[in-house]
Amino acid sequence: MKRPWSPTPGVAAATAEPVTAPSPPKPALDASKAPAGGPQLVLGGRRIPVVLPNRRDPRLKLSAVIIALQVLGQTVLDFKVSIAQILITIGVCAVIDTAVTLKQQGILAWPASALLTGNSIAFILRASGTKHGDWWSLNGIEFFVLAAVVSLVVKHLVRPGGRHRFNPSNVGIVWVLLVIGPVHVFPQYLWWGPLGAPVIAALLVIVLGAIWVLRAVRMLPMALSFMVPFTALIAIFAASGQSFVAIWQESQISGFDYWLKICTSPELLVFVCFMMSDPATAAKSRDGRLIYGAATAVVAAALVFFQPTEFGIKVAILSSLTLTCALVPAIEAAARRLGRDRDPPADEAHVKRPPLPRRVSAGALRPASIAVVIIAVTAVVGTAALADNKDLIFIERGLTGPRNAQ
Amino acid sequence: MLGLLLLVASLVVAADLFGTREALFGSATPPPKPSAFSRVASETPAQRAKRTRLRSQPWWQEVDTFGGVGKTRTSEIEISDDATQWRLRWSCSGGRFVVRAAGQKKPLVNSTCAAKKSSEFTAKPDGALQVEAEGRWRVTVEQQVDVPLVEPPLPAMSAPGTAKVASGSFYRMDQTGRGRLTFYRLASGRYALRLTDVYFTPNVDLEIRLHPLRAPKTTRQYLSAPSKIAAPLDITAGSMNFVLPAGVDPLRYRSVVIWCPLITSAYAGATLNQQQ
Repeated sequence: MKRPWSPTPGVAAATAEPVTAPSPPKPALDASKAPAGGPQLVLGGRRIPVVLPNRRDPRLKLSAVIIALQVLGQTVLDFKVSIAQILITIGVCAVIDTAVTLKQQGILAWPASALLTGNSIAFILRASGTKHGDWWSLNGIEFFVLAAVVSLVVKHLVRPGGRHRFNPSNVGIVWVLLVIGPVHVFPQYLWWGPLGAPVIAALLVIVLGAIWVLRAVRMLPMALSFMVPFTALIAIFAASGQSFVAIWQESQISGFDYWLKICTSPELLVFVCFMMSDPATAAKSRDGRLIYGAATAVVAAALVFFQPTEFGIKVAILSSLTLTCALVPAIEAAARRLGRDRDPPADEAHVKRPPLPRRVSAGALRPASIAVVIIAVTAVVGTAALADNKDLIFIERGLTGPRNAQ
Repeated sequence: MLGLLLLVASLVVAADLFGTREALFGSATPPPKPSAFSRVASETPAQRAKRTRLRSQPWWQEVDTFGGVGKTRTSEIEISDDATQWRLRWSCSGGRFVVRAAGQKKPLVNSTCAAKKSSEFTAKPDGALQVEAEGRWRVTVEQQVDVPLVEPPLPAMSAPGTAKVASGSFYRMDQTGRGRLTFYRLASGRYALRLTDVYFTPNVDLEIRLHPLRAPKTTRQYLSAPSKIAAPLDITAGSMNFVLPAGVDPLRYRSVVIWCPLITSAYAGATLNQQQ
């Protein structure tokens, strides 16, 4: 099976977060496997192989889409994030990832996935009090740095079975939103503005970008397997009288508007198309991905149901991915058991594996497995607790005075 | 092991168990306090004031007023524990004017009648005031509070000959604005305005202005046409009444805007729906 976005032939990107085709577990990357005759850096008499970006790397496509959205956000979409916040977040991710790769594998690799992690964090996370147009503001920069550090720490330390389980930017954002809380941070609004030229341009970028990126890695069915049940469940909630409050709308959002504001949100599309689709953390098999998409939708809807605020709804959607990422091995096992996986990855098709309960009990006491459980439980319990958060109602109604948190 | 402990700590904070997140990172929500029910603190409420987490722009509430000639001891004054500061506003006919608080050596006021007529204090007085003056004097005690004011409607608003003439609901412009408004034509011919369950982003020197546009949405739209002041808005949360200046007719306008001249910003607007 070809490995479509390996930066260099023979060098698998073990640090990958973003989109790629299904691939077998990648061998550990080390200096001995760096491309022969490739560029090298001589540092203190030591030769360090350098792995540069490959223009066929699909992560560059994803980066182009996110950067296009960031440009729209900075110019016409009134995103409350500064260029300084974006650059520093990306920089922190890049430095940490490059250092870890250098220490573990002895190579200096272009930190493509870390750059995406940083970009994703800056795209979604907001620090209270940051004003649009204040391009060099460092307001709340500590929260962006914290999210970046948590993302990379979880990615490199929480590795049951030798692979990272969580989408790095997702776990970093969810952690900061839940632990630091709504007084200091919030996620980008679900509503990006009235349906004028700026929002239409953003939607075009997202839709065309999704087709461009997801088709190549066969993740479009996964995106649909999320969107269909999620939009149906939100429609049921809307019909049953669910509502929420948001800082950008005076009245309670209910009825058709409830469905419209959640299900057609560019933020939701970005989440599905560019965060859930991370092949390093999504299910690998075709049926596994369908279950993964549908399971994320059901978990997201279940967490959304109790949320009376936009903040809660956004965190619910993000937290659903944290939980389903933790459940990916179970999802893969379910897909195999149901006999729906017609094209299993080579390593799993021919290896006789012990039954799931035995594997679960064997791995349960490993620190990485315990960490996965705690992170998943934190995401769900923390999100559920937002439903009863009195700060949030005050903040979303704009009733906290001149120091309004959003 | 340290990593796992940190993760468990994260769980405790993320779920805000035992109020840990609020203790660590603060809260945007103030504790509940009873609303004020009158601009005069000594008036007896018809019913117990409801507690609320809403806060208003700090405003001056009258506590008591005293007057007399020469040396006098007032009745006891009581400043609310919720007051951020209190003040004396005085006038006197001539000579020296001295006010002492019981148990305090240093006078609160020791001035000539021609000097500044207001003094602010943060330390709460204990008991009565001792006034020393050479002639006629008058002292008003006020306290600054930030609770909403929830006044009952004016009796004149339900008196015979009064008519409800227009109403509307506030919407956000540059800042938060919520709640409803109603204009009454009183039997005297003057107009009165009642704001019900309103909240505006707190700031000083806000104004309630009548505007000819039906639904101004921006400060620029507000500034595109001349407006008329209906009343200053010193309290930014609650339910309260205003009697409009004589000669001001709200029916000649199509909206109400909460205007902040200090920062040239239209905070909130409300389209006026005239009653048939």
